[in-house]
Amino acid sequence: MSSEAVEKYKAISPAEFFYKYKEIAGFANPARALYQTVRELVENALDATDSHGILPDIKVVIQRADPVQEFYRVTVEDNGIGIPPDIVPNAFGRVLFSSKYVLRQTRGMYGLGVKMAVLYGQMTTGRPIEVITSKREYRRIYFFKIRIDINKNEPVVLERGSWRKQRDWHGTIVSLTIEGDWGKAKARIKEYINRTATVTPYANIVMYTPDNEVILYKRVIETMPRPPKEVKPHPYGVDLEMLKMIIESSKEPTILEVLVENFQSVGEVTAKDLLSKAGIDPSSNPRDLKEDDLLRLINTMKSYNQFKPPSSSAISPLGVEVIKAGLTRMFEPEFVDAVTRKPSTYEGHPFIVEAGIAYGGKVPLSEADKPILLRYANKIPLLYDEGSDVITSVVKEDIAWDNYMVAFPAQLVLLVHVCSTKVPFKGVGKESIADVPEVRREIKLAISEVARRLRGYLTAKQKELETQRKVVHLAKYIPEIARSLEVIFSGDGFDKDTLVKRLVGIISAKTGIPENKINEVIRGVEIGA
Amino acid sequence: MSSVDVRARMNAIGVLKEKFKIILDQIQRGEKPTLVMPKRVLSNTIYDEKNKMLLLGPDVLRRSLIDVNEARKFMQTLLMASIIYEALVNNEYPTIRDLYYRGKHSIGYRDVDGKLVHENTWDEQKESDSVIRDLEVFMNVLREEMLILSKEKGKVVGNLVIKSGDDTIDLSKMGHGAYSIEPTPDLVEFKDVDAEYVLVVEKDAVFQQLHRYGFWRKYRAILVTSAGQPDRATRRFVRRLNEELKLPVYVLTDSDPYGFYIYSVFKIGSITLSYESERLATPSARFIGVSMTDVFGDEVFREVLDEVKEVGGFTKTALGKLKKKKPYLSESERRNYVIKAKQRDIERAVELVGYDVADKCVESSELRSKLKKKEGLTGYPWFRTPNWVRELCIFFKTLNKLEIEAMASKGLKFLADTYIPSKIEGGDWID
Ligand SMILES: Nc1ncnc2c1ncn2[C@@H]1O[C@H](COP(=O)(O)OP(=O)(O)O)[C@@H](O)[C@H]1O
Ligand SMILES: [Mg+2]
Repeated sequence: MSSEAVEKYKAISPAEFFYKYKEIAGFANPARALYQTVRELVENALDATDSHGILPDIKVVIQRADPVQEFYRVTVEDNGIGIPPDIVPNAFGRVLFSSKYVLRQTRGMYGLGVKMAVLYGQMTTGRPIEVITSKREYRRIYFFKIRIDINKNEPVVLERGSWRKQRDWHGTIVSLTIEGDWGKAKARIKEYINRTATVTPYANIVMYTPDNEVILYKRVIETMPRPPKEVKPHPYGVDLEMLKMIIESSKEPTILEVLVENFQSVGEVTAKDLLSKAGIDPSSNPRDLKEDDLLRLINTMKSYNQFKPPSSSAISPLGVEVIKAGLTRMFEPEFVDAVTRKPSTYEGHPFIVEAGIAYGGKVPLSEADKPILLRYANKIPLLYDEGSDVITSVVKEDIAWDNYMVAFPAQLVLLVHVCSTKVPFKGVGKESIADVPEVRREIKLAISEVARRLRGYLTAKQKELETQRKVVHLAKYIPEIARSLEVIFSGDGFDKDTLVKRLVGIISAKTGIPENKINEVIRGVEIGA
Repeated sequence: MSSVDVRARMNAIGVLKEKFKIILDQIQRGEKPTLVMPKRVLSNTIYDEKNKMLLLGPDVLRRSLIDVNEARKFMQTLLMASIIYEALVNNEYPTIRDLYYRGKHSIGYRDVDGKLVHENTWDEQKESDSVIRDLEVFMNVLREEMLILSKEKGKVVGNLVIKSGDDTIDLSKMGHGAYSIEPTPDLVEFKDVDAEYVLVVEKDAVFQQLHRYGFWRKYRAILVTSAGQPDRATRRFVRRLNEELKLPVYVLTDSDPYGFYIYSVFKIGSITLSYESERLATPSARFIGVSMTDVFGDEVFREVLDEVKEVGGFTKTALGKLKKKKPYLSESERRNYVIKAKQRDIERAVELVGYDVADKCVESSELRSKLKKKEGLTGYPWFRTPNWVRELCIFFKTLNKLEIEAMASKGLKFLADTYIPSKIEGGDWID
């Protein structure tokens, strides 16, 4: 991109930009907009809870808001950390304002999600966003009505208020009224909630729909994914924009200190080494540096090969227990297992791949060529563009399913979760993951491992079934054999019951099948005339 | 009930209990119940050179309830034993078909997936028949000795008085009819006999002709027919005549490989049911005819010998020493009576004597190549004798056969008064 274009790009307000190009953020039509609004609010709610060690209680209410027009009021309530009242206007009224720019895996990341919904509501119904929030330590609950000044990209607070807390409540309630199309969006929204619930078995999620339906997913475990820690960015993963932002928000007087303070794996020695390689005076004021200097610094950082690999403590995998509990809650499968791969990196970004597998039980039948695929990126379900996702191509091209005793269609669900401080999405849609070799490799290893475990289960099951067949095959003849021997030996002190008992004992000893199983078969035998 | 009958029953019951007590004891000791019996398969059939009969070899079959593949058969064996036991103690004479019906019932059980499945103790009679054969070898008691009946087929007439049940029967007073050999020949008592030998004829029609002609009275013979492939009772009866009354046995069949085989069943036993031979075979039975040399003389065979060094493992010299034979039929009679052999007859002949003999004796190269597929056949040892090699070589060379009726149509008188007596007197038989 030429610098001229960047100048122009900066000339319009981001709010204006997104207002014009709302399709990009998923607000193309009323149906998509309703779905996207629910998503943004639910993801913010989950970010405010599980990322902070709070077991989420989330309530989603979608209501008709106008008897004539297709207006819907979407309310999402959480029991999360709440938002300080001085932050609320910006959080909901300034595009690209986010608390999530720091390097830490969260669901939201661009700082525009909720504001798009606000802008869309403003545009279609003219109604402002309503926010009720309080933090745990507050004595008061705060209330806001906000709209966005599109030209200035500034919040306009229409109403505000606060009242004393009567009970020990914390969290946030956000309400938005937008034009929507419940009829068309219904299936997708339900699927989204369902798929979200699949990976949040530690959450209570309830949704009230305009059809007066109540959809409830009750918490089944108390274990949560370990919350992500904030980490400083690794030099490998930094680009020009990010470096500029870091410098802007920093208070250090010299570039040397900026590097040491804001990056992981960079100490004073390394920082000096980097700066001298880039031809920059370590004592120079970072805010005076030209774009050329910064570019050189970035290139030096990228080619430097003595950094420790990026830390993975900023990413928060679901964990084996959560995946298994989630799949179990959804599918009551006959077999379930999951694996969390060890952290890996691509282009300086740490990432972790997880896979879960569920077989049999209430798992529906898959398509003819692959299992039912549940894709997730940073705990967000990916519902669209399955065909272009690297996960799909791994499942279809890299895994020889018949080696794992699986033949499609099968009652098989495969869950794949890619989490990273920067998931390599294809495009802004955030609906499919790009084919990055390192990521692809990890996906393949994760799937192979759960598939191997499934094979182990299926093999054992088959063996068990064979043993059971064997029992039946032997035991069904015992009554007839006992009867025959009785005919020959009755009167010679022959006792049929003892004989049967002995036979059961012998079969049990020779085959390792418990006596009660054999007896069960014998009890079921009827000798016909 | 005759005392023989009672004795037979007591004996069979005793053996049955004794053998199945082994199973009962195994169960009581907590061992896996296993029926051990000689293997009833061709590969475990051996020809006992010394006693000249087919016997079961040393291989044994272990049929255990614990073996998934044998469990059903194990159950069937015990079931059959119980039915036979009941019949024995109830003084019954079941047929094998009766046993099939008495034992056939369903066993209902729950499959692994809980489905109710019904299985028959046995489906076809073939299955229950096979179990009866297993029991015979397991107990070493023949079905006749267990008083199991089969269809009567064999017939006998002659100067012989027998006791069957409570009746004494004079087999010389049967009119135009004959005494049907009962399915339990061991229950027959021989009371009185006035005969020189036993003549067994394959064909019922020829038996009747000889009977009406008064052959047996004239030549003091006991005349028997098996009416085709001999059943067990007829074989057992003939064996007893030979063993207990010390009468030599002569067998008269068609002059074709099938007739030769029937003779060998009387003499050696049947290849598929070798376990019965010990009590059913008559090792000293003689093949009186009709032989190929009776029809063709030995001219044809000598022609073959001129061109080869050996046939069937015997040197030209050894074969040359065989007794010279003149045909009983003239050239023109032969032309009238012989029939062309069928492919089936030829193949059977190869089975009897071996491929090498066919290869040496068959003239047509087209037929020789057709028989190539039988190359592996080495023949039965009891047909690999100089006499039989000569017989079958002539068959291969002429590809003709002759039915005994033809001999009879030359004149019954010829058959009864010339052919048979002269063969017996002249010692012109194959042993
Ligand atoms: N339910 C909520 N609880 C706490 N904080 C929230 C909530 N919703 C939004 N926020 C705050 O508002 C910011 C902006 O939200 P959003 O526009 O959706 O951007 P993003 O989620 O990408 O950061 C968030 O970063 C978060 O700090
Ligand atoms: Mg968000």
